[in-house]
Amino acid sequence: MALPDIYTEGIASGWKVIDASRLAGPQTLQADVAIIGSGAGGGVAAELLALAGLKVLLLEEGALRTSDSFRDMDEARAYRELYQEAGARATSDGAIAVMQGRSVGGSTTVNWTSSFRTPKQTLEHWAAQHEVKGHGVAEMQPWFEQMERRLDVMRWEAHNANNNVLKLGCEKLGWEAHAIPRNVRGCWNSGYCGFGCPVNAKQSMLVSTIPEALRHGATLAHRLRVRQLQHADGRITGAVGEALRADGITASGTQVTIQARHFIAAGGAINTPALLLRSALPDPHQRLGKHTLIHPVVLSIAQMPERVDAFYGAPQSIASDHFQWKDGATGPMGYKLEVPPLFPGITSGVLNRVGTDLQQSMAAFAHSNAVLALLRDGFVEQSPGGSVRLADDGSPMLDYDVSDYVWDGVRRAWLSMAELQFAAGARQVRPAHLDSSFHSSWAEARKAIAELPLKKFRASLFTAHLMGGCAMSENPKRGVVDSRGRHHQIANLSVLDGSVFPTSLGVNPQLSIFALTAQNATALARELKG
Amino acid sequence: MKLPLRVPGEGTMNPETQARPSAAGHGLARRDVLKLGLGFSLALGLGTALVGCSDSAKAPVAGLRFLRAGDAELFQALLPAVAVEFGRIDAAQRTPLMERVLRHVDGTCAALGQGAQKELRKLLDLLAITPLRYALTGVGGWDGAGVEAMQAFLARWRGSRFATLNAGGNILVTLTASAFYMQPESWPSAGYPGPLDYVFKAVNS
Repeated sequence: MALPDIYTEGIASGWKVIDASRLAGPQTLQADVAIIGSGAGGGVAAELLALAGLKVLLLEEGALRTSDSFRDMDEARAYRELYQEAGARATSDGAIAVMQGRSVGGSTTVNWTSSFRTPKQTLEHWAAQHEVKGHGVAEMQPWFEQMERRLDVMRWEAHNANNNVLKLGCEKLGWEAHAIPRNVRGCWNSGYCGFGCPVNAKQSMLVSTIPEALRHGATLAHRLRVRQLQHADGRITGAVGEALRADGITASGTQVTIQARHFIAAGGAINTPALLLRSALPDPHQRLGKHTLIHPVVLSIAQMPERVDAFYGAPQSIASDHFQWKDGATGPMGYKLEVPPLFPGITSGVLNRVGTDLQQSMAAFAHSNAVLALLRDGFVEQSPGGSVRLADDGSPMLDYDVSDYVWDGVRRAWLSMAELQFAAGARQVRPAHLDSSFHSSWAEARKAIAELPLKKFRASLFTAHLMGGCAMSENPKRGVVDSRGRHHQIANLSVLDGSVFPTSLGVNPQLSIFALTAQNATALARELKG
Repeated sequence: MKLPLRVPGEGTMNPETQARPSAAGHGLARRDVLKLGLGFSLALGLGTALVGCSDSAKAPVAGLRFLRAGDAELFQALLPAVAVEFGRIDAAQRTPLMERVLRHVDGTCAALGQGAQKELRKLLDLLAITPLRYALTGVGGWDGAGVEAMQAFLARWRGSRFATLNAGGNILVTLTASAFYMQPESWPSAGYPGPLDYVFKAVNS
């Protein structure tokens, strides 16, 4: 039974979809609102603005990749076609791997569907410490509810063996754990969310809001990189884009001019600050591209007595907040425990071993469980986050130093994860660190982890959550945009994506971006129609 | 297009026995490597300048987008050393497999942003210059370098107290290992049955 491809049918029925790699010559595109980036922010904004009757132009640097191309369920194809820098994006020094989507739907096309509301501690911290208004717990509730309904967010209870390790470990130790809500409709429980959902069950922007926007007259242009926003007298006067070749990377030389009443930057916390930096927009208080938060991730690998098959089944369905808020929002670094799905390619990279060590570790792959800790960065001065700057060609680079405060969280997280994995019955546990080996007891692991050097390139560090860099604040000295996402110095520019978060969240970010964007885009639609 | 490959260990089942003692024996003392590590950034600059003298050496291998001939030789030497499982793959499959691994590494490098590409290019250019390569890695030439010599080089770099060498060693290892384990030939050794059967069949029927 071949599944119908939403876009093949939609385009046949008249959807306006432009593949910029096929443009014969320079073009001018016009709209009421031009949205740059089609991920969690751009996708939600496109639907709401199109439904409000505005003429929407949705611009995406990556290619349109749809379920027809996800049918191989193949890791190599996924990184090549759906991820920033073919899955090899990293911080500027190469020390932290950055997993971020790059196709129509952005990271929602490849994420693992975890859909958490922004924690109340985080929302309260923003109001109290960052002069954010209108996004308190009560004010956000209807927007979370709206997006949860829209994207079929429900708690998932059919846990695979990888998630059950986390569940069992928490039960044994008396640690808090809970089932994760997921944005899926008719999920086949395959586990291939990260390679593009092959059955269109994941309610990513690719299959939900963007098709709805297209049904309401929006135009989608993909393989189109917006180079610059032009501005004069405090307004964006237009944007200049370059068409990319079929490879989706190199520019073809064809220029695309974009005209709109209002512009929305929604490229995420690396690409949005880069666009604004390239455009030399006013930044009187030097806030642009600063305080970039990444939820630094560290991992622990366990070998279990039974097969885990951590590649099959819903990838993330259990989480533990036991260590998240125990010292409040601003104590020693808190972290959330989850599991990642394991596939052979990425696992071999995470293991970062050579020769027989790699061979033996991979021979135990099907018995392997991995637990990850998301470290909640950016809540205290000792965790200032990173910053985005530009390479000579205008492409973004992310600098991120790991402070002692963060390293302290890293070591505690390794300890928690090893303790948990042994409690769940692990035979051997090894933290993802160049100097670590497999330990066969919690006592042995505890002693070894206490001595692991806390250094970049020795500790394996990852991020899949990019936040900040265009922080919101009512105070222009503290933020690039106000609480509604409106740029403090440019009248007709909004930022609607994860870059507006003043701190990290403490949870996987997609639902926070969906709900905040829904709230701010609804207000914007009213304003533009008014 | 076929890549011009010479696959180390081809025709044998165990590349570990292929280590060339001559190459391993040329390894510098750890102290010397560390000393060189101090000047690594300087050496990178010098390496780039030296490579600048030959235009043909600057072009990617025909059919590839980023890797030059010397880089391709490096990754051919790395694969059986990083992923010893490669040597256990049926000999007839090794050349096409090596080609796919190289293409995957090349595609990944070609997709990197300018900042990362420049750093990687500096590293590869440095390793392309015989005296510098020999001084920093103990390997005279990639072509024919044995598994043990390559493993010794990686161990030295990753064990160094210099972050630049750690970073270089890590990127070579992870690029190579992940490119190999993404290939279906490696999956039986990892116990990965491939895409979930009932879903794969349903969406491909």
